[in-house]
Amino acid sequence: MKSLIRFLSSVKLAIFLIIIITAASMIGTFIPQLRSAEEYGALYGQLSELLIRLEITDLYHSWWFIALLFLFSLNIVICTLTRLAAKFRRAFKPNLEFENQTLLAAKIQDRFSRKGNLEKSEGELKKGLRSAHYKIKETRKEAEVHLLARKKILGIFGSDIVHLGLLVILIGGIISGFSGFRTNINISEGEIVPVLGADFKLQLDKFETEYHPNGSVKDWKSTLTVMEDDNPRLTKTIEVNHPLTYKGYVFYQSSYGWDWQNPTLEIWAIKTSDPSSQKNAFVRLGEKVIWDEENLEFKALQFLPDFIIDGNQPRTRSLNPNNPAVFIEVYRGEDKISSGWIFAKFPDFSQMHSEEEADYKFEFKDIQTSQYSGIQMAKDPGVNYIWVGCTLLMIGLFLAFYWPPRDIRLILMEKEGKTEIISAGRSAKSKLALESEFKRIMVSFRRSQ
Amino acid sequence: MNESTLFLITFAVYFIAAFFYFVFLFSKKESAAKTGLSVVTVGFFVHTLALIWRTIESGHAPFTNMYESLSFLAWSGALAYIIIEYKYNIRKAGPYLMLIIIGIMALASSPLMPDEAAPLMPALQSYWLWLHVSVTLLGEAFFAVAFVTSIMYLVADSREKKGVAKEGAITAEKLDSISYRCVAVGFPLFTLGGLVFGMVWAYKAWGSYWSWDPKETWSLITWFVFALYLHTRIVMGWKGRRSALIAIIGFLAALFTYFGVNYLLAGLHSYA
Ligand code: HEM
Repeated sequence: MKSLIRFLSSVKLAIFLIIIITAASMIGTFIPQLRSAEEYGALYGQLSELLIRLEITDLYHSWWFIALLFLFSLNIVICTLTRLAAKFRRAFKPNLEFENQTLLAAKIQDRFSRKGNLEKSEGELKKGLRSAHYKIKETRKEAEVHLLARKKILGIFGSDIVHLGLLVILIGGIISGFSGFRTNINISEGEIVPVLGADFKLQLDKFETEYHPNGSVKDWKSTLTVMEDDNPRLTKTIEVNHPLTYKGYVFYQSSYGWDWQNPTLEIWAIKTSDPSSQKNAFVRLGEKVIWDEENLEFKALQFLPDFIIDGNQPRTRSLNPNNPAVFIEVYRGEDKISSGWIFAKFPDFSQMHSEEEADYKFEFKDIQTSQYSGIQMAKDPGVNYIWVGCTLLMIGLFLAFYWPPRDIRLILMEKEGKTEIISAGRSAKSKLALESEFKRIMVSFRRSQ
Repeated sequence: MNESTLFLITFAVYFIAAFFYFVFLFSKKESAAKTGLSVVTVGFFVHTLALIWRTIESGHAPFTNMYESLSFLAWSGALAYIIIEYKYNIRKAGPYLMLIIIGIMALASSPLMPDEAAPLMPALQSYWLWLHVSVTLLGEAFFAVAFVTSIMYLVADSREKKGVAKEGAITAEKLDSISYRCVAVGFPLFTLGGLVFGMVWAYKAWGSYWSWDPKETWSLITWFVFALYLHTRIVMGWKGRRSALIAIIGFLAALFTYFGVNYLLAGLHSYA
């Protein structure tokens, strides 16, 4: 047990772990993460199976990487705790028993005697030290007085606060990893959607896209209302970088798109021999249109926003309206007499397979559909730990680097009506500054006789 | 007068400063180094004006494309050098740092760098971007100074060991302590800008404070290397050669985070 604790508290282990974690992190940036087995096969051939088996393909979430982080956290905790008792003693119950020799052996030290008895010298010395913001502890031993004057004592704990902050961040990371989640919801204007796992719903009041003069997207804005039991609770317009937060859920503007489930299609049927005879229809998918004059009916069956032929099958390449196409069927009475794809961008390309000689053609003029707003919903109960941890981290770094503790130890002895004073300054991190301060205090004290 | 004229003037002034520093390097005339320092300081002020100009003109932070962030990096480098030089008198580092700064300026003005003040994509419109990038680059500028003083340490140390150190040359011991002080300034800045502000911004923009994207990961790697520097030094008492080597590796990691990731690896950050 003891040797286990010694192992877990050692800085050598910390250094070993830092090196290993750093090396692993590097590997994860050179080997693409979370690709398909085929891609790895193409990239690494025989090796790919090993990579997948060792979870190097999802390195940062692999069991061994998480185990390393866990060991690292344990290392930080135990290392910090095992040193803490001694630090508390040093900070709050410092040793006031020091010897003349020790003080005189210090690098920053002074020895002199001055007129006046011990009380008087002590009083003046304390005043001088206090005006330089030192706090003083003292003890009396027969004819001697020991003073310990210190400042910036909190600096002793800088590294511990840094380590505590790190630990809180790691804990926050674990909480995020296990109970945080995110999903994308696409929501159209006017629509109300339930929020996964929450007791409220979300309604999109308005969605707009702003553009730069050159046509690139400047911003997306969604006006959202939180609905609880059908009562509006809160309305806010979100945009990129400005999410809506409600009951621990955060809603981010992440993308936009078109709702292709239910578009309105503008289709013109034109008589070829007499183009003035037309039927202009606005239809939804599946709706029948009757063209009385020609004794025809037609309907749109399928819509693809970005039509391509893949193999022999038509499908859509993307969700952007790059090549909108609609599949229509034409009936005379009960008989299907014609069917085929027509294209909004290529009216001449439209081809219909007809059972009879056709004296009509179809043109696909326009589509209207609502745009939806792509909203990313996240609930991350770990995130507050992260901010607390970051704050501790920064406070700790400030203390460790810019709040260096200093102390001055003094021994005062009364000798034949005079006071003899031995003093020594100590500061691991700001020797130079302390040295000049020490000199200033001692010189002014000598002068003040 | 416009921003690119100011940039060119800055470039020229840095060149003149470098010239004086090299005169100092070869002639050992202190006065040349002093002139060099004044010239850098002037260059720094003109550079500051150029950055302010750019900000006003484009209406956003002056580091949203490669040209701008390189220019800002050079500015941070000049600032870090001026501070360290006024505080610790490391003239010898001057010529090398000026070379680095001029190199960065040259890269910034190369035609390969897109430099039009492009409108910002939505995710970049945030004042966290300001804080994130400026504080990180400032931290890295101090790592750059530590990099140069560490290399100078290695040279000075081997000269001293061979007994060929010149009279009056800056001692290896002093260089070692200056490197440490630069890291002590750079580390908290880098932590605040690179990690803390980076996480806040990522959370605001993408809803996830950490996603192991290559740039994030490389910032973390850089940070780990300097954590290693601190621990080996404070706890295990490493100094000198080994410390200098870690500081050098740390700065190289920072450079890779800055350039390598953009050109060699892809990720969320690849537009910056
Ligand atoms: C990346 C993770 C870590 C960071 C960023 C970090 C940061 C720091 C900092 C800033 C200091 C103060 C340095 C100074 O005073 O100049 C410090 C000191 C120290 N660290 Fe860490 N640390 C980390 C991990 C660890 C681990 C895992 C251990 C466990 C063995 C550890 C052990 C120590 C010790 C023993 C000290 C000296 C404490 C003192 O005397 O005040 N550190 N650390």
